[in-house]
Amino acid sequence: MSLTTPAPSPTIAAARPAAAKKARQASRRAGVPYAFLAPGLLLFTLFLAAPIVYAGYLSLRKVKVSGLGLGAKSRTEVWAGFSNYVRSMTDPEFLPSVYRILGYGLIVVPTMLGLALLMALLLDANRTRPWIGSFTRIAIFLPYAVPAVVASLLWGFLYLPRVSPITDVLEAFGLTAPELLSSSWVLWAVANVAIWGGTGFNMIVIYTALKAVPTSLYESARIDGASELAIAWRIKIPIVMPSLVMTFVFSLIATLQVFAEPMTLKPLSNTISFTWTPLMKVYRDAFVRNDIYSAAATSVVIALATFLLSFGFLKLVGRRAFNQED
Amino acid sequence: MTVLAVKKRNSKTATLLLLVGAAYCLLPVIWVLIASSKSASELFSTFTLAPSSHLFDNLADLSGYRDGLYWRWMANTALYAGVGAAVSTLVSAMSGFALAKFEFPGKGFVFNVILAGVLVPGVILAIPQYLLLAKLGLTNTYWAVLLPSFISPYGIYLARIFAAAAVPTEILEASRIDGAGAWRTFVRVVMPMMRTGLVTVFLFQFVAIWNNFMLPYIMLGDDKLYPLTVGLNGLLNQGASQPSMYTAVVTGALVSIVPLIALFLTLQRYWQVDLAAGGVKA
Amino acid sequence: MFKKIAPVLATLTAAALFTSACSSSDDKADDSATSNEKVALTYWSWAPNMDKVVEGWNSTHPNIQVTVNKQDGGDPAVTKLLTAIKAGSGAPDVMQAEYQKIPTLVSADALADIAKEAGSLKDKFPAAAWNSVTLGSDAVYGVPQDSGPLMFFYRSDVFDKNGLAAPKTWDDYAAAAEKIHKANPKQYIGTFSASDAGLFTGLAQQAGASWWGVNGDSWTVNINEPATQKVAAYWGGLVEKGVVDNKPMYTPEWNAALNDGSQVGWVSAVWAPGVLEGSAKDTKGKWKAATMPQWDAASPATGNWGGSATSVTTQSKHPKQAAEFVAWLNSDPAALKLLAGTANVYPAANDTTTILTTPPAFFADQADFYTIAADAAKATKPFTYGPNVNVAYSAFNDAFGKAAESKKAAAFTESLATVQKATVDDMKNSGFTVAG
Repeated sequence: MSLTTPAPSPTIAAARPAAAKKARQASRRAGVPYAFLAPGLLLFTLFLAAPIVYAGYLSLRKVKVSGLGLGAKSRTEVWAGFSNYVRSMTDPEFLPSVYRILGYGLIVVPTMLGLALLMALLLDANRTRPWIGSFTRIAIFLPYAVPAVVASLLWGFLYLPRVSPITDVLEAFGLTAPELLSSSWVLWAVANVAIWGGTGFNMIVIYTALKAVPTSLYESARIDGASELAIAWRIKIPIVMPSLVMTFVFSLIATLQVFAEPMTLKPLSNTISFTWTPLMKVYRDAFVRNDIYSAAATSVVIALATFLLSFGFLKLVGRRAFNQED
Repeated sequence: MTVLAVKKRNSKTATLLLLVGAAYCLLPVIWVLIASSKSASELFSTFTLAPSSHLFDNLADLSGYRDGLYWRWMANTALYAGVGAAVSTLVSAMSGFALAKFEFPGKGFVFNVILAGVLVPGVILAIPQYLLLAKLGLTNTYWAVLLPSFISPYGIYLARIFAAAAVPTEILEASRIDGAGAWRTFVRVVMPMMRTGLVTVFLFQFVAIWNNFMLPYIMLGDDKLYPLTVGLNGLLNQGASQPSMYTAVVTGALVSIVPLIALFLTLQRYWQVDLAAGGVKA
Repeated sequence: MFKKIAPVLATLTAAALFTSACSSSDDKADDSATSNEKVALTYWSWAPNMDKVVEGWNSTHPNIQVTVNKQDGGDPAVTKLLTAIKAGSGAPDVMQAEYQKIPTLVSADALADIAKEAGSLKDKFPAAAWNSVTLGSDAVYGVPQDSGPLMFFYRSDVFDKNGLAAPKTWDDYAAAAEKIHKANPKQYIGTFSASDAGLFTGLAQQAGASWWGVNGDSWTVNINEPATQKVAAYWGGLVEKGVVDNKPMYTPEWNAALNDGSQVGWVSAVWAPGVLEGSAKDTKGKWKAATMPQWDAASPATGNWGGSATSVTTQSKHPKQAAEFVAWLNSDPAALKLLAGTANVYPAANDTTTILTTPPAFFADQADFYTIAADAAKATKPFTYGPNVNVAYSAFNDAFGKAAESKKAAAFTESLATVQKATVDDMKNSGFTVAG
């Protein structure tokens, strides 16, 4: 149920036969939430809303060059209608990058959340050995502290056959190591960096939810002879479902925004192109090709797609997670 | 086989799986630890997991690079992350408190707009933010990185959950009857109650800023203002006519994650986030 | 509560205003600069130790003080400059700009014309270098700083062991590639790096290509043309045969290959010694430098990889003083000595030959190093860059990355059509008049 305070609206307050002082107080009280929101909203408007609106504006503009384009003032900005959108949607590299990101998401999200859930359940079942528990908890959470740029760099070293210990070890057993950055493996290689970096955080979220469950709930099941697996499946997982839903949404958002990992790994191989993910295409258009207008158009499309996917999913599961305290 | 034996075996499997998971997560960290102990030529010639004895030489070289520029990057990063996260936490707490504890016209709209903000990737914002800050003449200053990091839609979202869970409405009513001002109530009563949650928000934002690359990369032209991520990236990509400084990058990468690991270990108990049930269990 | 927050906001705003008021780019402009006026200039450069070179200027020019902001290389610096130009503020006064970026920068109105201050320097530079800062016009958009004539570097110990000499022609190179790889399957004479469009451009330049051109009032684009096709087919053939590696350069793997002797040759430019020393220090003394393998040994030619000019930006409030500094930096004998000695660049100025007499440390045994370099610089073929080099280069990266991965010679030549199309489409979309 709701714990919020109903703020009396000024008109009702004034209509009451109460003292004018009380009415003033009430109207001041009505302003209180806005005052608390003010700094947040101001910053939000300046650094998020305004840039987004501006990006929307840019997506409808383009530069027109006159002549050779070499003299000063030979460039003018003109309205472009939806031509930037048409161009970015019909770019032959765009759809492949969308499919690639979907494939990537199909690898990353289930694997990462599956591992996170598994590790959380194991930690929870393993409460009797606190030493191993806290060691693994910290170890698995540790990658969260490593910036994606640095993480990709470290994994990059581990992927390259000539400098990787994985190759050395496999060769010692007489096996040939796969070329992890070749076209058949590269999607997995990039996914691995994301899984490595994200599992720990999601594990902590799920583990926290598990710890909140009173042990008495399992005891009766145990007495009835239920196996640990059955307890996990029938009791624990349903209980952490809301957490799983939330981690799913945030992982989905992060997946659609994957950028730093492939960007850092790109120079190490021939297989990651400038348009490997949609966001990399935005980067290429804006920073390599110096065409911020096309970049803005692609950005708007990505933002809308992310928005639709996340909210669509939440609608599907009943929006429980975002509004749970109402 | 007795039930007890099965249980024992299960627990052994569980421990083993946990240790495998830990090993996977530690592998790159162990690698960077070993790699940073190697000299430049050993890094590319000796067996990858064979440690050497040059860690301190490498640290000295790193410190010596352009008069200790690396440490300046470290200090910059601490400044960006520390100040940015502190201000952002306060802003988030205020907004989250208002959204969780008051009914007012437009509340649903404001919350939904802020939620949508969580979805916007930084790469998309970078250019418009640059153009905006350039209009204010703030690019290539500390403010260019600090100001945009003061706002965190995710922080507001979390703060709202924490405020809803940790601050009972009765207490607000009580302090209002006492005649305390809203701001005083917030500082004296609400903030202490949300303390654990706010530390989590702080940590989130701290890590987010610490790991940020795109925003400072675009905003800064003077490498004395760089944070670690941008600085290390620069050492790696020097352009064709310069060699990449792998030893410095590897050693720098190792040193750069030490402060965050320390932060995690000391503030471990705050990393217990329940995104869904609404609260932090300390 | 407003009362409590208002001061905080006020402080923030004040601090913000204060910072902006102090930022150097907003200094009051005064074009009628007298020689006694003190000005401060910022200079973006990625050459190592450029701050030490600039000290030589600052100590003798107390009224024009230059501060160097070290950049992460040519691409990021140009990206930042273009964004600053778009924003209307934030650009430095002086900027290091690679030759291939100059048309792009001029087209974005980022570079100031300093013909009045620097036009007289023309005779101090090779014609090709000077042409790349004037773009064939009367304007001068910078002063050439360094050049990067292509040369061939090889491990003489490995070549000797295989009974090979430095390849004189590309046929020799192909034969040597095969022999080396057959003798030791782990060894390659080199690699085809799809991530280094600059090198491929230089190779095409050597073969006689000039990818862009101006014809009256319209641009021409000639990337998918016979000379470039010949180069693409040649490298594609070597990669398909497997006698040349297909991995990109400047990766940890490439470093390892230089160290353990599995890359025994490198088609590179005059600045290679610095890279080799930084990447594979222990191989010192085993490398030798030679002139490039030739298509036609009778008329030796070479291309360029790298090289840059120093330009004054259109946002500079003190273009006159900035131009003065730029002229000193790239033509004064004292500055040239500093550039070559401390910043490790190969200055573009004609005087360089008299300054650089001892070989670089990594090639200490090769007394004729700079003679070879000077000959290479003279044999550099003319080449015109267009206003969207980055589009062509990024298209090259992607297309040739795929081709190199496929190891099919046909894919190499087909990729040229992709690059050509991407480049022309982009120019047409921006409204350039493109012929052909």
